[in-house]
Amino acid sequence: MSVWPTLPPRDGVLVDDSPPPPADPVAREPAPGEGDQTAVEQSEDRADLAAYRRARRRARTRRLATGAAGLVGLAVAWQIAATLIRDPVFLPSVSQTGQAFAHYLNRPYPALGKPLWYDALISLRRILVGFAIGTGVGVALGAAMSATRVVRHLIDPVIEVLRPLPPLAFIPLFIIWFGIGETPKEVLIVIGVAPIMAVTTVAALDEVPEDLRLCARTLGAAGLYTMLHVQIRSALPGILTGMRISMAGAWTSIVAAELIAATSGLGSLIMQAGDYLNTALVFAGIITIAILGLALDAGLRGLLVLADPSRRR
Amino acid sequence: MAARAEAGGAADLRVGGPAGPPEEIRAPGGTDVVIDSVGKTFRRGGRRTVALAEVNLQVAAGELVCLLGPSGCGKSTLLRIVAGALAADTGTVLVGGQPVSGPSADRGMLFQTPMLFPWLTTRKNVLFGPRAQRSAGLHERDDPELDAEADAILRTVGLAGFGDAFPHELSGGMQHRAAFARALMARPSLLLMDEPFGALDAITRVRMHDFLLSMWERYRITVIFVTHDIEEAVLLGDRVAVMGGRPPGVVEVIDIPLVRPRHALDADTAAFLTAKRTIRASLTA
Repeated sequence: MSVWPTLPPRDGVLVDDSPPPPADPVAREPAPGEGDQTAVEQSEDRADLAAYRRARRRARTRRLATGAAGLVGLAVAWQIAATLIRDPVFLPSVSQTGQAFAHYLNRPYPALGKPLWYDALISLRRILVGFAIGTGVGVALGAAMSATRVVRHLIDPVIEVLRPLPPLAFIPLFIIWFGIGETPKEVLIVIGVAPIMAVTTVAALDEVPEDLRLCARTLGAAGLYTMLHVQIRSALPGILTGMRISMAGAWTSIVAAELIAATSGLGSLIMQAGDYLNTALVFAGIITIAILGLALDAGLRGLLVLADPSRRR
Repeated sequence: MAARAEAGGAADLRVGGPAGPPEEIRAPGGTDVVIDSVGKTFRRGGRRTVALAEVNLQVAAGELVCLLGPSGCGKSTLLRIVAGALAADTGTVLVGGQPVSGPSADRGMLFQTPMLFPWLTTRKNVLFGPRAQRSAGLHERDDPELDAEADAILRTVGLAGFGDAFPHELSGGMQHRAAFARALMARPSLLLMDEPFGALDAITRVRMHDFLLSMWERYRITVIFVTHDIEEAVLLGDRVAVMGGRPPGVVEVIDIPLVRPRHALDADTAAFLTAKRTIRASLTA
């Protein structure tokens, strides 16, 4: 084993115990590494880090407050417009929409249908199942493509063909293949999510600098440890960003699919409410979709901030 | 030059209480490196580029040798071969008598960018090596010992209050110091530095020179330092291996007779200028 120099300092100087570090016996200015900071400066640095983080937190609060103000402004404008137009079928007011939401949250619409929360849950379930499978497939594909050139050259054209296709175009085909249950809708989400995740994963893994992996190896990490804890970990923010993007696309697909080919879910609720000219309920449905989409995106964003500390704003 | 063991309470870098007599370990830490007839040719799409040909170099234990040369002279390639990241086509590299086969914690490496892991705090970055080694079943230092050692090393490099900071919250010089601390925690016997200060501004670079010199005085492990900067090579190195020629190899190895311990201000002395002239003559010859 190497003679690791757990030596005392050669010149017998005390190692920095607490600021200020002692001067080297050879009278000179303290080396930058050891003590270019006096006690005051060091404590100022410590305070600086805390102050810096506090300032960032303040900026973040300001940002959220401004965003909330923007939404409130939008609601006010909407209410004013509705009051001026005075046609609840064309543009229901905020209060009418709120009433519709509260009323149908627990009551079925139409009478033989399902309550709003049930429809919301159905849509959510379809999204989550499809998203989970799509992400799994996409990330696995992406990892395989990044690892082996052959796989990459094989799968790339398939993805390039699939990606620009609107998943909706496949609905009639999926109904023929998978019937009219939940499966065609879940497969719909999968084929929307998987290509995006595959492309994102390849890009994220490719972006990890080779020297970062070499660095880990020279610190003593084994090959597998490096792959998991350095390469994949490093690609995680990119993968999570891909998830946010494909999640938005998934919502588009599922609502559109439910509009035309479903008897449950928020899309079908909106369709039926529209058939009966219950615009307030249409708005309520749209807003429910918006809230759910926002919540899921916020969840992913939270994971992203955990994975990538530099995004902590 | 007897080592003065400080009385109890001395916070020296050996962790685990008042350890054994320091007088035992007065030999410089680190291993020797023997590079013997190393050659490397890159083949890409039918074109052959000879990166190195017949390179011979010996580095004694505890020595700081600089590899100096312009871009494309093969100095980084040679460094990576010693690290085990590249395999030599011909010749052998022996580190401490053992042939090199793949990267290992024994041969630490520092790059032009600090390469800190951005998702880990400075402290966790520094602890990455020992933890990874523990996963691989190697070292058995346990957590309290590691924590104390990490604290000590962070203090030594001047990052005492920044253990919980993330890399993006540190300045460039601080990041390099953190990378240095991380490399040392893995306990290498050889440190390979590939133009580590090249991306820094001139003022910070001077401070990093002082930092490296004081660290090296403290630890005395073998260092191979790659640079294209003559002054840096003269300031840091015991010897400078000038590289170049076609095909690229070691042109000349020049002794730097400057007295140790050195400081960045030594760059203004007459002896420094003489050494610099010798090297420049060799480079332009």
